[in-house]
Amino acid sequence: MRTFYKIISLSLALMVAYSSTFAQGRMVSGRVISVEDQQPLPGVNVVVPGTGRGTVTDMDGRYAINLDEKDNSLVFSFIGYTTQTITVGTQTTVNVNLELDTQSLEELVVIGYGTVKKSDLTGSVGSVKTEDLVKVVASNPLQSLQGKIAGLQVINGSGTPGSAPIVRVRGVGTFNNNNPIYVVDGVILDDISFLNSSDIQSMELLKDASATAIYGNRGSNGVFIVTTKQGTTGGDGKAVINFSGEYSVQRLLKKIDLLNGRQFGEVVNQFRPGEYNNLDALPNTDWQDLIFSVAPMQNYQLSFMGGSERNQYYFSVGYFKQEGIIEKSSYERLSLRLNNAYKINNWLKMGNNLSFAPYKQQNTAGGAPFVVYRAQPVINPYLASPRGDTIYSEVPGVGNVLADIANTNSYNRGLRSVGSFFAEATINQDFRFRTSLGLDLAYGEAESFTPVFYVSPQQQNALNDLNKGSSIFTSWLWENTLSYTKDIGKHHVDALAGFTSQQLRNEFTNRSATDLARTDPNFWYINGNTVVPTSVNDGVDPANYFSMLSFLGRVNYVWNDKYLFTATFRRDGSSKFLVDNRWGNFPSIAAGWNLINEEFMSSIPLVSNLKLRASWGITGNDKISYLDGYSTIGSANAVFGAQESQFVGFTFSRLGNPDLRWELAKQTDVGLEFGFLEDKLTGELDYYNRNTEDILVGLRVPGYVGNGDQTVVYNAGSMLNTGIELSLAWTDEIGRFNYKVSGNLTTIRNEVTKITGTGTSDDELLAFYNGQTITRSRVGDPIGSFAGYVTNGLFQNQAELDAYPHRADAQPGDVRYVDINNDGLINANDITNLGSPIPTLMYGFSVEGWYGPFRLSLDFAGQSGNKIYNAKETVRPDLYNYEAHVYNYWRGEGTSTSEPRPTAGGSNFLLSDRFIFDGDFLRLRSLTLAYSLPKSVAEKAYLSKADVFLRGNNVFTRSKFPGYSPEAAGGSPLFNNIDTSVYPVASSYSLGINLTF
Amino acid sequence: MHTRSTSMMKITRMVLLIAASLVINACQDFLEVPLQGTLTQSDFPTNETDALAATNAIYYILRESQYHTGLFPIDDILSDDAYKGSNPEDAASTVGPYENFVMFPTDAWFANWWNTLYRGVLRANVVIEYVPQIDMDEALRKRYIGEAKFLRALFYFDLVKAYGGVPLVTKTAPDFTQVRATKEEIWTLIEQDLTDAIQALPLRTAYPAKEAGRATQGAAQALLGKAHLYQGEFTLAAPQFDAVINSGLYDLEPDFDDANSVNGEFGVESVFEIGAVDGLLEGIENGTNYYANVQGVRGTPNRGWGFNRPSLELQAAFEANDPRLESTVIYLGEVLDGVTIAGDGPTPDETRNENGDLIEIECYNQKVWTPGQVVAPTQGHNRRLIRFADVLLMAAEAHNENGNAGVALTHLNRVRLRAREGNAAILPDVSVTDKTQLRARILQERRVELALEGHRFWDLVRTGNAPAVLGPLGFITGKHELFPIPQSEIDLTQQRLDQNPNWD
Repeated sequence: MRTFYKIISLSLALMVAYSSTFAQGRMVSGRVISVEDQQPLPGVNVVVPGTGRGTVTDMDGRYAINLDEKDNSLVFSFIGYTTQTITVGTQTTVNVNLELDTQSLEELVVIGYGTVKKSDLTGSVGSVKTEDLVKVVASNPLQSLQGKIAGLQVINGSGTPGSAPIVRVRGVGTFNNNNPIYVVDGVILDDISFLNSSDIQSMELLKDASATAIYGNRGSNGVFIVTTKQGTTGGDGKAVINFSGEYSVQRLLKKIDLLNGRQFGEVVNQFRPGEYNNLDALPNTDWQDLIFSVAPMQNYQLSFMGGSERNQYYFSVGYFKQEGIIEKSSYERLSLRLNNAYKINNWLKMGNNLSFAPYKQQNTAGGAPFVVYRAQPVINPYLASPRGDTIYSEVPGVGNVLADIANTNSYNRGLRSVGSFFAEATINQDFRFRTSLGLDLAYGEAESFTPVFYVSPQQQNALNDLNKGSSIFTSWLWENTLSYTKDIGKHHVDALAGFTSQQLRNEFTNRSATDLARTDPNFWYINGNTVVPTSVNDGVDPANYFSMLSFLGRVNYVWNDKYLFTATFRRDGSSKFLVDNRWGNFPSIAAGWNLINEEFMSSIPLVSNLKLRASWGITGNDKISYLDGYSTIGSANAVFGAQESQFVGFTFSRLGNPDLRWELAKQTDVGLEFGFLEDKLTGELDYYNRNTEDILVGLRVPGYVGNGDQTVVYNAGSMLNTGIELSLAWTDEIGRFNYKVSGNLTTIRNEVTKITGTGTSDDELLAFYNGQTITRSRVGDPIGSFAGYVTNGLFQNQAELDAYPHRADAQPGDVRYVDINNDGLINANDITNLGSPIPTLMYGFSVEGWYGPFRLSLDFAGQSGNKIYNAKETVRPDLYNYEAHVYNYWRGEGTSTSEPRPTAGGSNFLLSDRFIFDGDFLRLRSLTLAYSLPKSVAEKAYLSKADVFLRGNNVFTRSKFPGYSPEAAGGSPLFNNIDTSVYPVASSYSLGINLTF
Repeated sequence: MHTRSTSMMKITRMVLLIAASLVINACQDFLEVPLQGTLTQSDFPTNETDALAATNAIYYILRESQYHTGLFPIDDILSDDAYKGSNPEDAASTVGPYENFVMFPTDAWFANWWNTLYRGVLRANVVIEYVPQIDMDEALRKRYIGEAKFLRALFYFDLVKAYGGVPLVTKTAPDFTQVRATKEEIWTLIEQDLTDAIQALPLRTAYPAKEAGRATQGAAQALLGKAHLYQGEFTLAAPQFDAVINSGLYDLEPDFDDANSVNGEFGVESVFEIGAVDGLLEGIENGTNYYANVQGVRGTPNRGWGFNRPSLELQAAFEANDPRLESTVIYLGEVLDGVTIAGDGPTPDETRNENGDLIEIECYNQKVWTPGQVVAPTQGHNRRLIRFADVLLMAAEAHNENGNAGVALTHLNRVRLRAREGNAAILPDVSVTDKTQLRARILQERRVELALEGHRFWDLVRTGNAPAVLGPLGFITGKHELFPIPQSEIDLTQQRLDQNPNWD
């Protein structure tokens, strides 16, 4: 925003300068620079007090002005800086250092359908700028947000190239889809993976109801407002050309500690005596070493930015390519952006923001890390081949991962284009009308081919097969708003009214075929020439085919910069709901008090900012499939005849609930914004309380109704999230060393407050892992609470076994499960709550320092208070490798109280607290050391600025969890922070340059 | 002037009203997004094609894995004929308890089976309720409703057999407040449906060959006879079996293997059978059935999960040299259709008790065998729900109870004759005429002829032999004659359904 103000004030000042009268006197000249970065400040107003005469500094911060004899001082003012009055005396050269004035810095905050001065804001809004968005090298800008905004949780569960993190705002608000929405230059989206971080000017996160209610039925999960970079006005029309390039290497952060071949042999011999006779001769295959490698990542962009008073442009090209640390996985994206604004005449402005992003993703064998985790280390990966070709060995239970990878050929390709076109008319100086058409177009293709191969009876493919899928997504959004701004004395009013309509449609087609005549990619087509198609399926995605109409309005009223009031209202109609429940109303109210502007505050010089605010409102969540309202027909074919042909059948398949309504979140927020010591210390403290009601829950109905175990969706649940958010920032300098320390923390208390079922069994929500209950959410517990047995050491001898309830197959050395209900049996009734996946505390902090041309920044993120389930270690139907701790097994009475006697599987591996770990972690998310080339050197290369930097991402993670990463994202709140083995998140190290021409 | 301004106002008001209503209507239309590619229950079935499709869809249930006692053959495992199978750890806590009657109402299989049977009932009710209202060919209408009634009776037969009196649902939209009907009310519905079906259904020969597998008059007669037999109504049962036997449409396959094999599919012995596609593609939507997959040879070749392991008791129950033993049990090392059975690594070849006695050997159910080396073809196995040998033995039983030992012996010996494979030295004709002794001989013959086909447990229960035979395994008289009402169903009905005796 600073640049923006510089430009505005430069133009204003120019006009003032031209109007000033020429007078006789002496000439005073000089240069104005900024204290903070020692850079020249263009556009600073230089005024002779009491005369109306003045000038403005040029691009180099220089000015020159004539003073009359009687003139003795100059006033230097610039938006965002402390105004200075300098006594000139007899000086002819007056150089001035202007200091940033954070108090008067009237930062504008982007909110829904408009902007508001930070001091006038009554809602809770978090903000991130470009600099922070590019600190983490990733395809998705959201990756950078971990630990950056209070109240925001970003879970980087998977390291799959191109994967998006899971994003949660202020806890988990529903049992269903918890994803926020993203408003990119006014276009409402569900996903921003197409966005290049470098194209983003700012991202604001709307958190409380005062901010989100203007998005009505989509506001419940939080709203991100993304503003992309715009061209510049004024100046000399010269374009700013920027190039940045970054090359990184990624590697596995840490390996999982598994048994080696010899240890495995010894462990297995304990329960299968003699299985391995010569432990020394056993192979020792480290499967992790075989699939994980160091992989490069590249990120480049080139942008052109410029314009004049009449039109401005921003054009950029970005290229991102990430190779995965597992072979045959990668993500590649080209991103193009063209943002234009045209001033047609003095009342009409038009423009467009267009983006176009083709991408390609290759997916490796889906379960590769899991297969590696389970593969026995005593198997050589290859068999000796007399002819020297590759023969994969049979790996019991899980198959040979190298063969899996070799035979996997899976790609996603597509392109996404998001754009908006707008026109804005100033009707008189108070009213503005804006209309915009937003478009979101996406085409996606998936393709996978499996050749014929044979490794073992369990790992083979008798006929080659090809699966292809494509989808076309189209969405248009037409928004019309009329806004009104008026200052009358001490009253300031901002009002907005709007009407919007939107339609979305996503059609997909899936085709598959087997037994292609040729296997190379040139033949991966399904047609009658080379293959017989086996199935075609096309349809419209019921979660993404709907229309919406909305009416919205907002009034902001400010009295004397002290008292603030905001009221918003949105009425949404959605085709997702049947007629009676189609429309919903979403109001909010808020008030604020700028205490700092009260007289009595002037006596407390320590305090430089103080604002109290409170809000209440209702938002909705409409992320459901519209099919849930309807009772539907489904296909069910019959098979008759000795030739066994299929006969078409259709019948009643699923019961719907026509009475479905919106989920509603009622949120209260109380916030305090403060600044001390001339805003060296700034901060914000919020208390939030979000109560979601009418949560959609799929409930079973009695079996005799004939709906099977399919569920019918009812508005039957409630959930509460409460907590505190605190953000603090300290900016200061020690000599030439400038630094900034900032941090934030968030507490979350999540509680399910109601689950109404049609029967008692539905008073809880369950999720399963291989048939066992792994989470059980009951009223009073956090959503997705882990379920399992509680253990109490091991049975040390037969007497202990006899004296205590145990599983039928238990022996001395086995795990002792606690008989929770004291019925003398160890069974499903003893399964209990083992902790919550939701952190009670999340935090992030950054340290940034500048010394001369050097800049160092560190960003940390962390969380605590939650648990993580190591589910991948639990279910063992076959003999697999073990985690290293198993080697400390019980070897007889008194030898261990925690590590049971070895078994292939069975009772010791039931889901229990043995597999629950603290979810706490602290991660150094990014570490950057940058060096700016001296200006003299840069200029020789026709550069105005040149930076070189070294960067590390995920440099270290402190955690007690023995898996690859202490974060296991779950798309469903009922299956969250459960490690079922994922593609590990890598750490990366980069070298980059940033050049401005 | 006054008039003019009033009319102006009126016109203005009218214009505004029209404009407003246009906007509102436009809004309503805009928000009216019809379902794409999806039919709703208010639009189906409405024509003759729909009627056929709705009828076909009932048969689909028969191929669902959970139609078969909830996935695993728990009824055979409960009986003295089979163990759990697979390797010792696999499903030890979920299917293992059925070896010795320590199962609970919360077990998934009870709910799976119940739910699937009632899904079948719903599908039959769709046809029975809506097809009469469709303008269509009368003969087809009659047949479709007949098929639906046969299948509804088939589903209720399993329900009443396993759970006793259950909610009587004869409409597509039942009240959510129903309670259990009496056992008698369910039997009455079954008998009425089958009587209607016998009237409506064609003979097996009246269907084109490619539609073999649809419900026939013979199947309805056999099932009605069985319904009477289960109620001890032997005089009512016998004529139904006689009708099937005397129709001349059914006979025993010359080779016992073919009673269940691929060769005998929809053959002369098949009275009612579940068609499944013997293809390379897995998945029920591709026409397959997991019944044989669940029981198929585990390990090498990989033909399935290996559940329902024939017990040593069953193997001992066969008379000396009865060739049916070889045709019922797959032993390790055996070569079937050119495939050597090596078996499963983690499964012990032999299992012994503490005393060192052999109690279990690794072996598999041969009646679900399909030629091949991989899993997919096993899913093409056609399960025979009613076969002619079963009808003959049920007829023998009914006639014996009715005092016609001679007729009973004829039917019984017909079954033994085929089993003998022309070897006069084995399986001699039975000649005992004492009712009690003959009853026991017929039950014994059912055991070996129909082994692992899901009859044994129910035969023991309905003939009152369960306490004596299964008592040592854990059968409790007064409890285990019935399965429990699934706990989930009791919960979901908010305790409107009572639990079966001694299951609380």
